[in-house]
Amino acid sequence: MPLNSTPLKRALQAAPERSTGGKQIVEQEFFCFRLGDLRLGVSSEYVREVTRSGPLTPLPRMAAFVLGVFGHRGEVLPVLDLLRFLGKGESRMGARTRLFVGSVGSFTTAVIADGVIGLRKIASSDILPPPMGGDSSADHLIGVVTNSGLDGPLSLINFAKVMQTARQRVVSR
Amino acid sequence: MTVPLEQPPVDLLLFEVGGRTFGVDASQVLRVDRPLPGAYALPGLGPLAEGGRALVFQAEEGEGQLRVDAVSGIRPVPADSLRRLPQVAATAGAYSIGVWLNGETPVLLLDLAEIEAFQRRHQTHGD
Repeated sequence: MPLNSTPLKRALQAAPERSTGGKQIVEQEFFCFRLGDLRLGVSSEYVREVTRSGPLTPLPRMAAFVLGVFGHRGEVLPVLDLLRFLGKGESRMGARTRLFVGSVGSFTTAVIADGVIGLRKIASSDILPPPMGGDSSADHLIGVVTNSGLDGPLSLINFAKVMQTARQRVVSR
Repeated sequence: MTVPLEQPPVDLLLFEVGGRTFGVDASQVLRVDRPLPGAYALPGLGPLAEGGRALVFQAEEGEGQLRVDAVSGIRPVPADSLRRLPQVAATAGAYSIGVWLNGETPVLLLDLAEIEAFQRRHQTHGD
């Protein structure tokens, strides 16, 4: 220990560069994935696991965003295409397609992902509100992160609301 | 102490429409035949490739015929491999009654009586 080191200097060495102003930084963890040209995130509390896609069985008279059902660990799960749901195009299943299994309450579904980015902790202060006057997809966003370090903005999906709307759209057909 | 009874296997008649496999309770099928002019196709199952066979079943008035491409056969499946449709699939039609998990491959199960009722409501006939 240097002779001129003082408790104050040692404390300053450990101090952050910026003051937090006494506020606690609130972070949320999101499961992030690519879908088409989009970078999307879903709160990790809803994500159970990620799996490879398997044989998909289409169902008659279903909403377009429900591609069918998929068997996984003895469960039959509906498979959702968020691109179709958000009106942003159509996903194409391929060899690299993955499904993440998401649960909201007692409802579980599999959701298509073109690729998995991983888990990211995002500070609430970094989440910008969804664009005002945007299309209806904005209704299902928590917000947008522009400084996520990814190649493009990260749109954070309100997964609970997606599931609620999906069930309503399906029942109303 | 009660011991849960093991459910007996269920006989499924498996058939194909447009390259996809479906199943019905074999007990609903009277026979498999060549389709008569009144045999109908169910558009919800997808387009028929050939439609060269028909599942003949007891309808409300006489016999009904559902046109299919091919019949794979009857298979006894364990009751514990059967699943109800997930709730989000509720509109798959009253005639879609569940799924048989063939390994990890879901096979959609249909009810011929409900198909006939659906047809009567929509009055759709195949060629």
